[in-house]
Amino acid sequence: MIDVKHVTKRFGEGQTAVTALRDISLTIPEGSFFTLLGPSGCGKTTLLRLIAGFELPTEGEITLDGDSIGHLAPNNRPVNTVFQSYALFPHMSVARNVGFGLEMLKRPKAEIEATIHEMLELVQLGEFASRRVDQLSGGQQQRVALARALAPRPKVLLLDEPLSALDLKLRKGMQSELKRLQNETGITFVFVTHDQSEALAMSDQIAVMSAGAVRQVGTPEEIYTAPQSRFVADFIGDTNIVSATLLGFEGDKASIRFGEGTPLTVQTASTSLKPGAVHVALRPETIDVVDEGADRALLRGAVVDSTYFGAGSQMLVRLDDGVAVLVQVATPRAIGARVGLECDTSMLHVLED
Amino acid sequence: MSSAVHIPSTDAATSLRAAQAARARQARRTRLFLLAPALGVIGVFGLFPLSIALVYSFLEPGTYGGVEWVFSYDAYVQFLFERDIFDDTLAFNSAYLQIFGRSFGLAVTTMIGTLILGFPVAYFIAARPPEQRNFWLFAITLPFWTNLLIRTYSMLLIVRDEGFVNLMLMKIGFIDKPLEMLYTDGAVLAGLIYSYLPFMILPIYASLEKFDFSLLEAGHDLYASRTQVFRHIIVPITRPGIIAGCVLVLIPALGAYITPELLGGGKKLMIGNLIALQFGSGRNWPFGAAAALILMAVVLIALLISLRAGSSKEGGHD
Repeated sequence: MIDVKHVTKRFGEGQTAVTALRDISLTIPEGSFFTLLGPSGCGKTTLLRLIAGFELPTEGEITLDGDSIGHLAPNNRPVNTVFQSYALFPHMSVARNVGFGLEMLKRPKAEIEATIHEMLELVQLGEFASRRVDQLSGGQQQRVALARALAPRPKVLLLDEPLSALDLKLRKGMQSELKRLQNETGITFVFVTHDQSEALAMSDQIAVMSAGAVRQVGTPEEIYTAPQSRFVADFIGDTNIVSATLLGFEGDKASIRFGEGTPLTVQTASTSLKPGAVHVALRPETIDVVDEGADRALLRGAVVDSTYFGAGSQMLVRLDDGVAVLVQVATPRAIGARVGLECDTSMLHVLED
Repeated sequence: MSSAVHIPSTDAATSLRAAQAARARQARRTRLFLLAPALGVIGVFGLFPLSIALVYSFLEPGTYGGVEWVFSYDAYVQFLFERDIFDDTLAFNSAYLQIFGRSFGLAVTTMIGTLILGFPVAYFIAARPPEQRNFWLFAITLPFWTNLLIRTYSMLLIVRDEGFVNLMLMKIGFIDKPLEMLYTDGAVLAGLIYSYLPFMILPIYASLEKFDFSLLEAGHDLYASRTQVFRHIIVPITRPGIIAGCVLVLIPALGAYITPELLGGGKKLMIGNLIALQFGSGRNWPFGAAAALILMAVVLIALLISLRAGSSKEGGHD
């Protein structure tokens, strides 16, 4: 288990100092597939490098199974990294790359040989042991990097956007491969990505980050269906964010109203919001298009665009208050037509700003 | 009508073969033509002077310099033996071997010195942001713009008894009377290291420039200490640059003439001075030519051995 406690990381000094991480606290459970998700520059890679030991925290502490590791050198931490650029040693064979960690740990030769063999089998590169790394394809190099990082049996494996250099098809294959490796080895994986679909597909838990802070931690389902903030809702999937008026709270639910419509009882990220204008998340796949005059319609607007994507169409509806909403439909309405939008109120979610 | 399709195959095959042969002849001619300038340069500026030296080394010295066209291998005998003036017997003479030995010692020390000083400098430049590197490279190569003779004379002014170093040391009270630095092996070594340092820095920089610094992090991450990262990752990857730098320093340092002459005071002969002497006041051109060829042969053999050692190391497991 990794505990990140109130970690702040600043680069540079004085006036030009840049704060990459601002008082971050996180708990990464043992044996889980944990993803740090966020746009570029959000600090996710910095956090990974702090756990690896390539950077030291300006403030705060990082513990691994209760031991403070935040100020140890990388070679003194039972943590290994799969680099974005793979960083394979070009002057060594595949086998020596994989065995390098164990060699540095001064393990017996027989054990090193056996582990190299086992790891190459695990990533299905058994017959490539004596190849030079520059004779391998990108996907194969990726597997060597994985095998090299797994060979010393670290407590934690850090993966820095390892799939970003692969093409789409290989990437899909490697996603399930990584899941399988994590299940087979039981090692804690900390995975950094900016790709929300990758994060949703692979993770046990996701930490969504932005601007040096953790915005939300949860399972993929929680993050997708119950985003807490506007940022998270916006970052995960094609979410519509519409304006509504908060009337008050009923227990842990919120009472809201669209325009001058009837009050609705919906889920909320927080019960400490002030009544007044709020933002509500609305997933495109939960919206139904009805006639403008229908009583069921919660929102009203005009169709401004529609895109056919095979399994259906995506329609862009501009609401009367100017907000554009994406809707998935089987048969699109004509552009310019006035429509009403209805949705399952249990899927509505009031957001914090 | 169908007969028109069946062209007798033997005719076609013969003409095809003839055409191919003509094409091949043409290609050979073109290749020779294109190679001619390079071969010409190598021949005129490389092989031809070398052959002159080779021929001269097997002739007898002329009384006032030059050569007598009489075959003799005396020059090579003279290198190892001394001929008794009275009874013509040969006695072993190690004087020239000692000169070779001293020159090699000094050249190898120069090489090691430039490597120890040059590697960190090359590393420093390669680790700068790309837009700053050219400035540092410019600073390294700047002394080249001044003549070697002038730089060596300036060195002489710095290390002599009333020179900059002694004045400074006396001013801060470190010493009472000047240290004798000029005309010592130390002064020659310092001069050689100063002169040849850029030849070490530039090739090492060239190999470090392409170096992927994330490999250092990968090494640390895989439990290698700083020294292990240096030994197992930096050195093997930059080995071609290190070898090139060593060769570029060692060979000219072996034949160095100006530096030992000025800073060493010509007191102890170096190979370069020995050879120069034979063509000047020594008036023994064949011996000069022989000494030059022996030097070349020794360097070649040393290079071949070191290259073989280098390549077998690369293939092995460590």
